[in-house]
Amino acid sequence: MFEVYKKELKELLRDKKTLMFVVLLPVLIFPVIFAIVAFIGTQAALDADQKVNTYVIINGEYAQEFTDKVFYHKSFELYKGSKTFNTIEELKAGVTAGDIDMGIYLPSNAVKTLDNGEQSKWQVVFNDAKSINFLFDRVKELAQEYSDVLQAEKLKSFGIEESAHKSILNPIEVVKVDTADKRENLGEKIGAYLPYLLIPLVLMGATYPAIDLGAGEKERGTLETLLLTPITRTELVLGKFITLLTTSIASTTITVVSMGCWVAVALAFADLDFIKTAFSTLAVTDLLMIFVLLLPLAAIFSSLALAISIYARTFKEAQNYMAPLSMGVFFPIIISIMPNMELTAKTAFIPVTNVALAIKDIIKGTVDYTFVGLIFLATVLIAGALLAFCVKWFNREDVLFR
Amino acid sequence: MIEVAGLKKRFKLTKDHKKNKVDDIDPREDKDYFHSVRDVSFRCAEGEVLGLLGPNGAGKTTTLRMISTALKPDEGSITIAGNDIVKKPLLGRKSIGFLSGSTGLYGRLTVKENIEYFAKLHGMKKSDIASRCDELFTLLDMHKFIDKRAENLSTGMKQKANIARAVVHRPAVVVLDEPTTGLDIMTTQTVIEFIKGLKAQGTPVIFSTHHLDEVALLCDRVAVINEGISCFDGTVEAFKQAGNSEELNQAFMNILTEKHNV
Repeated sequence: MFEVYKKELKELLRDKKTLMFVVLLPVLIFPVIFAIVAFIGTQAALDADQKVNTYVIINGEYAQEFTDKVFYHKSFELYKGSKTFNTIEELKAGVTAGDIDMGIYLPSNAVKTLDNGEQSKWQVVFNDAKSINFLFDRVKELAQEYSDVLQAEKLKSFGIEESAHKSILNPIEVVKVDTADKRENLGEKIGAYLPYLLIPLVLMGATYPAIDLGAGEKERGTLETLLLTPITRTELVLGKFITLLTTSIASTTITVVSMGCWVAVALAFADLDFIKTAFSTLAVTDLLMIFVLLLPLAAIFSSLALAISIYARTFKEAQNYMAPLSMGVFFPIIISIMPNMELTAKTAFIPVTNVALAIKDIIKGTVDYTFVGLIFLATVLIAGALLAFCVKWFNREDVLFR
Repeated sequence: MIEVAGLKKRFKLTKDHKKNKVDDIDPREDKDYFHSVRDVSFRCAEGEVLGLLGPNGAGKTTTLRMISTALKPDEGSITIAGNDIVKKPLLGRKSIGFLSGSTGLYGRLTVKENIEYFAKLHGMKKSDIASRCDELFTLLDMHKFIDKRAENLSTGMKQKANIARAVVHRPAVVVLDEPTTGLDIMTTQTVIEFIKGLKAQGTPVIFSTHHLDEVALLCDRVAVINEGISCFDGTVEAFKQAGNSEELNQAFMNILTEKHNV
C-alpha cells in the first residue's frame, strides 16, 4: 500500500497539470480572482457614484425647493435638449431612448395637497435594471428632506413646538441592543461563505488527481499490469485513496495559508481595523478544528472521486462524471446558508451541510463541541462506508474491464 | 508446467449492446450474456513455448486474462505446478509474468523507476531488485535509456521496458498477448530473442499471435481457439497433420474450416 502511495505521489508531483490544480491555482489564481472581482466591483460603484445623470422634472414649480435641490446636486444635470416632456409616457420614452437618465413627475402642488389632508405621490422614471444604480436613492433622499420641511411647517402651523415634533412623529423608537460581539457578527457574515471557498477546494484537490489515478491508468494500459501484481485490491485502493486524501488536504491547506498571507499583506497596506480585530479573535485551535472537520470530508470526496474515476473508461469520460459531483457538493452548502439553518443534532448528520454549518459556528465562536464530535463521527462513518464501496468497486470485473 | 482445463467465461450484455444488436448469428450470445470463452483447455510444460492461435474475437485475450488472474473464470481450472491459481489468485500473480501490446508504463516515471516499482509490488528485496534490474538491463540492452522518462521513449524502447517489467520477479510462467503487434522488425527480433531465452531457461511461455512465422520459429506446441472453444491442442507437427498441410497458414485455415463445418 505504501509503495503504491509513494509512486502515485511521485507521479502526481511530476505532473504539471496536477501541480497547477493542487498548488498553483490555490496559491495564485484565487487571490488574483478575488482582487479582480474587488477591483471591478469597486470601479463599477465608483463610476456609478461619479456619473452625472440628465433629468427632467414635470411640474417642478409645484415643489420649487425640491426642484432647486435637484438642480444644484452634483449628480444631476437638467436636460437641455430640444425634446419636451409633459406626461409620464413621454418620460418613459425619453429614458428608453436614452435622451434622459431620469424623469420626475409631480402631479400636484405638494403644499396644497397637504393642506387638503392628502398625500402627494411623485413618480420617478428610470431604468432600474442597471447593476448599480444610486439614482432612486438620491432622489428619495432629496424628496425626504423636502418632505421633512413640509412636515415641520405643518406641525408648526398647528402650534406644536419644534421640540415636540420628534415625539409626535415617532412616539416609539426601537433601539437594538446587540449581544453579539464583533466576532459573532463577522462569523455570521464571513463564516457562512467560507465553506463556499474551502469545501469546493477540498473537492477539487481530490477530483483532478483521481481522474489520473483511475481512468488515466485504464487509458494508459497500466491498470491491468497493476492488477496482476500480488497486492490485494484493498491495498491498491488504500494506496490510491491516501494519495487523493493528501492532495485534497494539501490543496486546502495551501489555500488557507495563501489566503492568510494575502489578508496579512492587505492589512499591512490598508487600515482595516474591523477585519484586523475580527481575525485576531480567531484562535489557532479554531483553525485546527476547521482543518480536522475537513479531513473526513476530504476522505468522502476522495472515495467518491476514485470510485467515479475507476468506473470511467477514459480521462474524458471521468471528467464528464465529475461535473455532477461538483454540483452535488454545492447543493448542501447552499442549504447551510438558508434562513434558520442551524447546527442541531439533526443537521449534524447531513453530509457537507453539517461541516459548512460547523465552520460558520466556529468562526462565530458559538460552536457546540458536542455537535463537532457528532459531525466528525458521522463524516468518518460515511467516509468509511464509501471507502468500503470503493474497494468493492475495484473488485468488480465489469467496472475494471468495461 | 501450466495446465488450463475447461475454462468458461461469460460477460453480461449491456443495454446498449442489446439495443444495437444487428443479428442473432453469433452462437456465443444469448439473451443476457456473451459467452466469450466456452470451453478452452491446453497445457504447456517447462521449456515449451505454446502459440495460442485463433481469429479475431476468438477468446484468446479473455483466456490469457484469466490465466493472468485479471479475470476470474466462471468454470474450469488453471494450475501452475499443481496449484490452482483460480482459487489462489495471489499465488498466480507471483508465478506469472504478463505482457500485452496494450499494457503500458507510467509515463512520468523513468524506466528504472517503473521496473523497480513493479519489483517492489512483487515483494522483492532491495538488493535483489538492484541485481535483477542490472541483469535485465544488460540482457535487453537498456542501459542507455533507463533514466529516461517512459513518456519520452520510442515504441521499441517501451516494449523492452515492458518485457523487463513483466519478468522482473522471475515468474514461473510467462504469458504474452500479441507481443509483437505494431512493432518494427528490430524490436520484434528483440522479443523473439527474449522468448528464446526464456525457453532456454526452461520457463513455459504462452503467447498469442497472428504471425504464423513466429509460431514456426518459436513454438513447440500450438493451441487453437475458435468462437471460445478449443479446436486443437498439440505439437506443431500434430498441428500440420491435423490441418493436412506442411504450411502453417494453410493448416490453420483447414483446422478452422473443418471445425466450423462440423
